[in-house]
Parts: sequence; C-alpha cells; structure tokens
Amino acid sequence: MTTGAQTATPVRLSPAAFDPSAIAALSSARGEPDWLHAERLTRAERYQATPWPTGSEEEWRRTSLAGLPIYAPLDEKATTEVSGLDPDAAARGVVFAPLAEALAGHPDLVRPYLTDATPGPATHATFWELARAAWTTGTFLYVPPRVTVELVLRARTVQSRADAAAFPVTLVVAGEDSQVTLLEEFASPDGGAGWFGGTVDVRAERGSRVRYASLQLLGDGAWRVSAQRVVVGADAQVTTLNAEIGSRVTKLGVEVLMAGKGGTSKLLGVLAAGDDQKIDINSIQDLLASHTTSDLLYLSALYDQAHSAFYGLTRVRPEAKQTSSYQECRNLLLSPKAGAEPIPVLEIETNDILRCGHGATAGAIDPIQMFYAQTRGLTAVEAERMIVRGFFERAVADIGSEPIRARVLAALAARIGQEAA
Amino acid sequence: MALPTPTPNPALTQVPAGYKYGWHDSEMKPLHVMKKGLNAAVVEEISRIKGEPQWMTDNRLKAYRHFEARPMPAWGGDMSEIDFQDIYYYVTATDKAVQSWDDVPDYIRRTYDRLGIPEAEKKYLAGVGGQYDSEVVYHNIRADLEKLGVIFVGTDEALIKYPEMFKQYFGTVIPANDNKLAALNTAVWSGGSFIYVPPGVHVELPLQAYFRINTENMGQFERTLIIADEGSSVHYVEGCTAPSYTTASLHSAVVEIIVKKGARVRYTTIQNWSHNVYNLVTKRAVAYEDSVMEWVDGNLGSHLTMKYPSIYLLGERAHGEVLSIAFAGSGQHQDAGGKVIHAAPNTTSLITSKSISMGTGRTSYRGLIKVYPGSKRSKSTVRCDALILSDEARSDTYPYMEIDEEDVTIGHEATVSKVGSEQLFYLMSRGLTESEAAAMIVNGFIEPIVKELPMEYAVEMNRLIQLQMEGAVG
Repeated sequence: MTTGAQTATPVRLSPAAFDPSAIAALSSARGEPDWLHAERLTRAERYQATPWPTGSEEEWRRTSLAGLPIYAPLDEKATTEVSGLDPDAAARGVVFAPLAEALAGHPDLVRPYLTDATPGPATHATFWELARAAWTTGTFLYVPPRVTVELVLRARTVQSRADAAAFPVTLVVAGEDSQVTLLEEFASPDGGAGWFGGTVDVRAERGSRVRYASLQLLGDGAWRVSAQRVVVGADAQVTTLNAEIGSRVTKLGVEVLMAGKGGTSKLLGVLAAGDDQKIDINSIQDLLASHTTSDLLYLSALYDQAHSAFYGLTRVRPEAKQTSSYQECRNLLLSPKAGAEPIPVLEIETNDILRCGHGATAGAIDPIQMFYAQTRGLTAVEAERMIVRGFFERAVADIGSEPIRARVLAALAARIGQEAA
Repeated sequence: MALPTPTPNPALTQVPAGYKYGWHDSEMKPLHVMKKGLNAAVVEEISRIKGEPQWMTDNRLKAYRHFEARPMPAWGGDMSEIDFQDIYYYVTATDKAVQSWDDVPDYIRRTYDRLGIPEAEKKYLAGVGGQYDSEVVYHNIRADLEKLGVIFVGTDEALIKYPEMFKQYFGTVIPANDNKLAALNTAVWSGGSFIYVPPGVHVELPLQAYFRINTENMGQFERTLIIADEGSSVHYVEGCTAPSYTTASLHSAVVEIIVKKGARVRYTTIQNWSHNVYNLVTKRAVAYEDSVMEWVDGNLGSHLTMKYPSIYLLGERAHGEVLSIAFAGSGQHQDAGGKVIHAAPNTTSLITSKSISMGTGRTSYRGLIKVYPGSKRSKSTVRCDALILSDEARSDTYPYMEIDEEDVTIGHEATVSKVGSEQLFYLMSRGLTESEAAAMIVNGFIEPIVKELPMEYAVEMNRLIQLQMEGAVG
C-alpha cells in the first residue's frame, strides 16, 4: 500500500459521498481473495442502506455527530500488534494474530466469523457495516473447545496519524468450555481530528470463560464511534471491562446478548475524562434465555468540563425466566463544570425474575471522606486522587486479572494523577 | 365528568375485555352538543359561548395553532388510535346528567357498595347526578374559606370574577406551546378549579374538587390553577378512588401550581377512569424560596395514562416531592412518574414510585432529575419499586438524569420483583385465600403511599386493591 494510491482514490466515508469503488480499490491493493473482496462490497452496500442516527433516537440524543471528521482519509498504516501467546497454547490450536495475518494463515477459520451477517448493535448498525467494509487492521482470537489459555493475551492497535480514520475489527471466539483473557488497547496520536470506528465482536460458546478488557487511549482529537457485541452462550461466563480514557468524543454502543441458558455476564466500565471530553455510552443487556445473570457496573470520574452520558437498557424477555440483572452507574463530579447523565432503563416483560434493579448516582466526593483523608496528613489533591483511585478499584479489580488491573490503573493515573507515596 | 358522546368512535370506546366498570348509553340524546372535531371556528365558538375576554380567545387560537403544528409524541404509550376529529370538544352543563341511575350496570353499583360510597356520591361518580349534593358540608367550608380570603371557584368563573389575577398567572407555568396536549387543553379548556390562598393563610381541611358543586370539575379538558401566596399552605384533592365513568375517550387536563416563598402545596390525584380513556395530562408546579411542593399521584384507571407531575425548584431551599403509584390491569398502560428540575442552590427533592402490573398490564416509570449549574448542595433521591403479578405483565423504568453541577448528591434506585410463592404460601398457611394473601402483599407494597392519602381515600384504596386482586392469582 502506498500513500500515493491513497491520495488517488480517497475513501470518502460519509454516507452522502461514500464511494464503494474505493472499497474495491482498497481490497485490490491489499491483494485480498475474491470472497473477501466481495464481502467488503456487500458490507459497503449495507453501510449505504443502513441509515445514520438522526439524533432523535433515544441513545443518540446526548451526542451529536456534527463534528465527526467524516472526510478524514482512511488510515491504511494503522497497525495491530499482539503478544502473550505461549507456544503450548499455539500448539493446541489457539490462533491469536492481527486480523490480516490470521486471514492469510487461517482463511477458513476466520472467514465465517468475518462474514457473519448478524447486524451489530442496533444503535451503531451502520458503523458496524462500515467497519466490516473499510477495516485495514484488527485482532483475531480463536480458542478451540476445552483449551485453557493461562496467560493474559494482549493486542495493541495504533493509528498512524491523528487526523485519519480507522476501523479495526476485533473478533474473539471462545470455543466450548475454553478459557481466555484478552487485554486490547487502542491508541492514536494527539493533535488532530480523527475518526476511530473500531468494532469488537466477542462470542463465548457454551461453558466458556472469557475476560475481555478494552483500554481506550485515543488522541485528544479523536472521535470514537464504536460498537461492541458480546454473545454469551449457555453456562458461559463473560467479564468485560471498558476503560475509556482518551478521545475527544466517545460514543460507544455495547450490546450483550444473554443467548444461552445459565450464562453469566459482568460488564465493567471505568471512565476518566477531563478537558472538554464527552464520553457517551449506551448499552443493552438483552436477557433472551432463562437462568441468565447480567450485572453492569460503570464508574466515571469527570474533571474540568468533561461530560458523561450513560443510557443503559436491561431488557428481560418473556421467555427469560429466573434471571438476575443489575445496572449500577456512578459518577464522581470533580469540577463545577463537569456533568453527567446516567440513565439506567429497565424493560421487564415477565414476572418470573429472581432479581432486577438498577442504581445511579452523581455527585461530588463526600466531604467527610475528604476531611478524614486530610486529617491523616494527605493534601486535598492527594486525598482526591486516593479517593478516585479507590472509587475505580471496585470495577478494575472485578475483572479478576492482576496484569489487567495494573495496566488499567497505570493508564488511569495519567488522568487522576499518581498514587500518593 | 361524563361528557356524553352519542356516537362514540368504536375504536376508542371499545371497552377492553375484563373491564368491570364501564358502560355507555347509546340512547342518550344531548341537547346542545357541538359538532365533533376541532378547527379554529370551534375554538372561537367555545370562547364565545363562555363570554370570554378577547385575550383568552386569542390565547385559545394561538394554542390551537401550536396544537396543529406539533407532531404527536413518538415516545410513551400507543396513541395511534386517538382521532382528534372524532371528539366533542365542548358540551354545555345542561346537556349533562341526562343518564339514568337505572342504566348503571349492577357490577359498578356493587363496586360502589363494596367501597362504601354514599348514595349521592355514587350518582355523581357514575355521571348520573349533575352535582355531588353535599351542600351542607360545602357551604360550611365555603364560609370558612371566605373568611380567610381564600378563593376556591371554577376556573371559568375565576376568569370572569378575578380577571387580573387570572391573567397574571394563567399559562405562566405551562405555556400554550409546552407540548401538543397542553396546547390542545389551552385551546379548548373548560372547567377545573381556581384556588388562591392569601399570604400566611393555612387551609386546614383538604380542598376537594367535588365539594365545589355546580361546576364541572372532572371534565375532559379541565384547567386548574393554584396560587399559594407567601407562607400559606393548602392541600388539594382531585379525583377519587372509585371508578369514574365517562364516555369521552380523551382526558387532557392541565394543572399549574405556583408555590410562593415559604408556602406549601400538596396536590393529591387519584384517577380511576374507565378503561376506554386516554388520560394525557400535564401537571407542573413552580416552587420558590423555602417552599414545599408535593404531588401525590395515583393512577388506577384509564386505557393509557401519560402523566409526569413536575416541580421546578426555582428558589433556594425549595423542596419537591412526588409520590407516584400506578396499577395496571389487563389492557392498561400506566406511563407515569415525575420530574424535578433543580434551578437554585440547596434545593432538595424526593421521587418515590410504586407500580404494580397484572394480567397483560404494563406500568412504566418515566422521570427526570435535572440539575442546572449553580444549584449547589442540591440533593435528590429517586426510588422506584415495581411489582409484577403475572407472567404477561410488563414493567419499565426510564429514569432520566441530567446533572450539570458538581456539588450535589443525586441518587436513583429501582427494583422489580414478583410476589414470591414463599410469601403466598406463608400467608395461606395462616388461613388466607390466595387472592387475600396477594392483596395483603400488594397493600403492604403500596403502604408508603397510601398512608399519605386522606383517610377516606386510604380506606377506599385498600378496598379497591382487594377488589382488583380478586382472581388475579392462580
């Protein structure tokens, strides 16, 4: 791929100016097989056929896409690096590689997941299709049935320049009764208005145990319009952690489908935002099957003029008997100009539930906590840092992986400050 | 209440299966009913019949244009079957009360009997008495109120008798263009209560709409305006726990309340409209410095209710409370809740919602807490509990929060649960039938709200829940 080719056929991403022939050119330049070429064009058509949010949708009322840099050129030099796979796991059939590499090495394994036509999260359906049409990088993880991967796998996707657009695609497939933990990081340089449209697709088959953590460290001009879908099979246990630290605007759509009887999901989020950052997350915990459990805990600390919005829906379907679910959204407002809109919504269509509820709070640090910490010799700044760190600890520790906890806390320190000595 | 519609829209008046209290009389022949439908001429005609000043006529017409221009809300309940051109917008008082008590079905009479409702009140509730004949009580109350300088009259009467005060406050809390249904009400309003409580006056007894005879007060498009002047207090009670029958398919009221410095207002509503009614109501209060505003809002009847009593806390230390209870049986959707807007420092609010759905009923809590910048040390708590009594019932919670001030304490909690088989088993082992046991659990569930009602309402509410629960379980 040369930058010359990129200039000759810029991929116009806005729906009005979108040109599928540029997608065809992208695929040809990458030397992709015919099926993939066709797949990208199918996705391009679906992207054009799926309307953009108008802003009147409930989940889109709090974030306008008016400033999204839709003319940013496609970042064909974005990279993904993976690490942590020990040879033993590889020998047992675990495939963990950048998406393009996995495609080259295991086309038959990747193909059904990449071409799966199930729509992405409803709120981000068009962006899901765009990513499948225009991806240039991404992560592929496949764990065969009954294989346990002990070590934490790590992937890191980086945009080559701030003012470009990138749509990495992450595919995670955990076979029956397998176990795996993945920490994925997304980064881009500061200083320009970029468009990050990464999508994440996690499938936890029957009886599997999956931990997936996403650490978002995008540059200060980035617009993150991203979607995640997690499908939890029967008796599977999935824990996800979304750590949102970077970007100027984030609009993340999370869809968790509790599709198999007895599945469990724990959805964790930590948001640390400052300056004029806007972090807006919508989620749906869709309880489709009986005896499922889905708990969500999102915590945000908001500095300066930062603003968070959380619209979370728990839907309990009529056939989903004996389910348990909870949503908790807490917001620490650390500046007079910070703001939060936590909106946890319930739609319960059966009475045969074990437990269903939600809680949301917003407010400053309890002054009694501050006072107590200061009587112990901490300065106000130190006391605030300690309290914010403690506030996040609950979610970060719950991922159940010490390397992930340490990495996320270190990344959070960039916003909340280093721990007091 | 009871606006006769000789040829009701079948789509709207179709009584849902299982509804026990409704009936209508197709033989009814009203005397001077306006034509169905709405246009500017109808709006002007309403104003002309009432002999209103020009500003009100103009105000109605302006509101009508807002109504025309606005789309129907796309959220909330299903309103697709409402046909605004198939509704009577004005019926004169002499046209009412032409139904006969003999037409009232046995089961609704039995309900009244079991609730222990006095004869005169039964007729009033059933729409067969033009007035609720409680003259002795009423006159005593009126004499006392007059001594205190309290004004408590019908809203139409207030416009003629107190034109300046009326014009000063009317439409200031809920402007004509606030929403489509408030615009409709502003265009065609008729009836309702007007209350003014002078500074420092405390009205000891609750003022009840049905004490004010000879005035339509539970009409289709009633308009209520309450002004509590500085340091005063008043409790207003609207509606009743017993089922109230109407052939009119749309009830769209507007209630505006002004709570001045240091004043206290409680507004209690219990609606139990027959199950053909779309009950789409806008209620809002503004509360100034050191004042207290409380809404107690009970929704038992109607096909669809959409009602979110609101409080704008505009002065320091103002306090607002909304107590909401909703009960949805088969075919019913109660979309209710409350809104509190904190726009001054040290303001506090509490929203408590209890909802029960059974059969194929659906309850939705929909609420908003908004905190404007500068409303320092504001505190708000929202607590929603829902009880689902059947497999096909549904319960939703939509709690909106917009917090733009750091120095605040805002919290929301919700739980949804069902009546547990263990609870039922325990109570039945003590000799209760299943429906008695379920009713007892439900009564316990709504107790925090029932205890806030005037006693006679609380008693009726408990009996009514018992009635509704019969056959609900098993």
